Amino acid sequence: MILRLPFAIRSALPSPSLPLHRRPIRSPPASALSSLPPRPRQEIPLFLRPLAHSAARSDLDAFRRWAKSLALTAAPGIAAAADGGPDADHLIRELSWLVQDATSEPEVGDEVRLRVGLEELYRLWRERIEKRRPFQYLVGCEHWRDLVLVVREGVLIPRPETELLVDMVAEVEGFQEGLWADMGTGSGAIAVGIGRLLGVRGKVFATDLSPDAVEVARFNVERYGLKDKVEIREGPWFEPLQDVKGKLAGLVSNPPYIPSSHISGLQAEVGWHEPRLALDGGKDGTDYLLHLCEGSASALKPGGFFAFETNGDKQSEFIADFISTMWGNFFENVETVLDFAGIKRFVTGVRR
Amino acid sequence: MGFFFVLKRSCSRVRPFPPINPNGKSSLLALFSTSLSGSRARNLISSHPFSVGSFGAPRGPNGFSGSGKSLDFASLPKVRLFSSQTAALSEPTTSDGLTVDAIAAKGWPILDESESDWRSHAAAIAQSIRLIKKRLQWRKMIVRLEQLSAALNKSDLWDDPVYAGRISREHGELMGKIKAVNRFEQELLEHIDLLKLAREEGDKELELESMKALLDMRRDAKEKELEALLSGDRDSCSCFIEVQAGAGGTESMDWASMVMNMYKMWAQSHGFAVTVLEEMPGEIAGIKRATIKVEGEYAFGYAKAEVGVHRLVRISPFDSAKRRHTSFAAVAVIPILSDVSTQYQIKESDLRIERFRAGGAGGQHVNTTESAVRIVHIPTGISATCQNERSQHSNKASAMAVLQSRLDQLEMARQAQLNAEHTQSLTEISWGNQIRTYVLHPYRMVKDLRTNYEVSDPDSVLDGDLDGFILNFLSTLLDKDEGNTS
Repeated sequence: MILRLPFAIRSALPSPSLPLHRRPIRSPPASALSSLPPRPRQEIPLFLRPLAHSAARSDLDAFRRWAKSLALTAAPGIAAAADGGPDADHLIRELSWLVQDATSEPEVGDEVRLRVGLEELYRLWRERIEKRRPFQYLVGCEHWRDLVLVVREGVLIPRPETELLVDMVAEVEGFQEGLWADMGTGSGAIAVGIGRLLGVRGKVFATDLSPDAVEVARFNVERYGLKDKVEIREGPWFEPLQDVKGKLAGLVSNPPYIPSSHISGLQAEVGWHEPRLALDGGKDGTDYLLHLCEGSASALKPGGFFAFETNGDKQSEFIADFISTMWGNFFENVETVLDFAGIKRFVTGVRR
Repeated sequence: MGFFFVLKRSCSRVRPFPPINPNGKSSLLALFSTSLSGSRARNLISSHPFSVGSFGAPRGPNGFSGSGKSLDFASLPKVRLFSSQTAALSEPTTSDGLTVDAIAAKGWPILDESESDWRSHAAAIAQSIRLIKKRLQWRKMIVRLEQLSAALNKSDLWDDPVYAGRISREHGELMGKIKAVNRFEQELLEHIDLLKLAREEGDKELELESMKALLDMRRDAKEKELEALLSGDRDSCSCFIEVQAGAGGTESMDWASMVMNMYKMWAQSHGFAVTVLEEMPGEIAGIKRATIKVEGEYAFGYAKAEVGVHRLVRISPFDSAKRRHTSFAAVAVIPILSDVSTQYQIKESDLRIERFRAGGAGGQHVNTTESAVRIVHIPTGISATCQNERSQHSNKASAMAVLQSRLDQLEMARQAQLNAEHTQSLTEISWGNQIRTYVLHPYRMVKDLRTNYEVSDPDSVLDGDLDGFILNFLSTLLDKDEGNTS
């Protein structure tokens, strides 16, 4: 089977009209940027590229040593920024994964086949350390649940917490044959996760406003052979779902929920590189959550289930209270659910 | 004429007893009656100095050489036939009443293989069979078989189907092992009978063939001796190896990482797949603790010989005063049971799953590649952590597998206490005993304190050349007790 790659091949001419990043919220230090040439738009994810390059094993080892020392040197500075960035252990593990994605199975011999040139590895790692570019954008993928999802700038990197949304769906009786919707799907993570569990009559509609997200989600859906199970629709929240209004067995979403005032203080990997569109939830962070709750009343069929990710604890409690108070006639069993860190991360409930 | 023709063919090409191979899982049964299947297993075998299941001649899928058709031995006047029903517990003899034990007791001189002396071959084979039985803990096996048979005969057995299943499976496996050895004994006695017959009849050709068959058996027997070292219930399993640094700061954390590295290299040199599940690095160097998964046939059977405390003596590179230091690292090895039905049943409600080393707001606030998970089994307090997978889901799955094995091990220990006699050999391997010393200064030596086996090249050992230590320990462990074989 041949998959259509939505990414420009590296050798293709980079389109000058497409900026490297979405508008950065805070510029990285000028010193970090000055030494780096402008980079072409995202290429094929590292692990999917052919083993078209090679290097002497000793040269790859030299890269590892250099990269490790760069990480160790940078770690105290990252810690001093106190923005929750990676420590030395994390960086060194990312380095081993970078090499893992760039090479094939353990090879013997003095020559190592690579998916990128060695100089590209140097450049990527420099970006990781100096520009705090997220590791997942570096390699173009994120391991999430048992999936390897393609990601790139412009699309939110799926978070570990969000994995649990799929587990919650899988606990709903008869979920396999229902119609589901994942609103603001981003990379398509939740939709693909659910789609893989569905039966013959089950289906997921995955919506997103962002053309970047739609493109990446479509690629991930096709890569997992789920074109029949997951339908991507471009548009905001409920708008693309008018034809299935009142028929949905369940709604899930990881909407933007960070209060606008927190955006400027975010961890560099998030604030400098991830799309604000996927993060900023308005003044209290609840703009989209409330919109989702309200719309759920008409979108869900009776007995339909919803599960939304929130900013945690207080926000979850607020949303759960609000639903029970304002829309108590429509929903029952409204509750907050903990993530593995013990934070009330999700709000779930059932349409009466 | 026709009679001898038949006899010769059967003798050289066909084993007169049908194979039994109920499930192919029982390690020894597999060793005795079938060759390991799959090219991977074969690669493994060829790279092992103490190989498993490497029979001299290539075999068909059922462990038979050749494809000659089965012959009716019952019609042959001088060859005694044992039915498979009674074979397990009756003692086979030659036509003139010689048993394998009697042959071993005769003290016939064992000459070089190249000497065509049937008594020498027979004596060597009989000795091997004695050793094999000792290593299999033959008497305990027979006692256990009787216990299991009694249990199987109880009318209320199937009231508890899980228990019944376990009992009947163990009975089947034990029966298989015993029969496999008995078949080997019968084969010896039949070749002796045939050889004597050939001499009586003056058939030189048959005599030569029988002699050759005895020689083949003799070589086979040597391999089976080694195979019998890995006859434990769980020996064929994959395993986890855990290394923990002892007290002593950076020097012992460095030692722990050297030990872990030694096992990684040992495992890789044997073709086992190695995965790092958990690694807690030391502040300056080395590791506080690490767990690896070692996957492959008989990984546990070998690695179990490494359980205990490993001691290092050297000039510490972390001591500016260049003093000599002694450090310790503890090694644990846990089998990964492949048979789900024998696993400890974990209740979901007994588990507490935590994000490990997580802090801050989480969610969209944080971009991290850290998704370590710790799972705590609340009733026992046993926990497992995995941090090296690339998704939380995979970390959880790996931590769950470690937890499962730890609980299985706990359950095994509990059952071992209930049934102390049968599993005595397992409890001899216990955590906490100092088993080996590695001296890098003032002299260079690695010495096993259990077997006194030693080598003067610590570097090769630390590079994973552990087979001498493992083999010596396994044979010492199994050969020291059970002086009396049945």
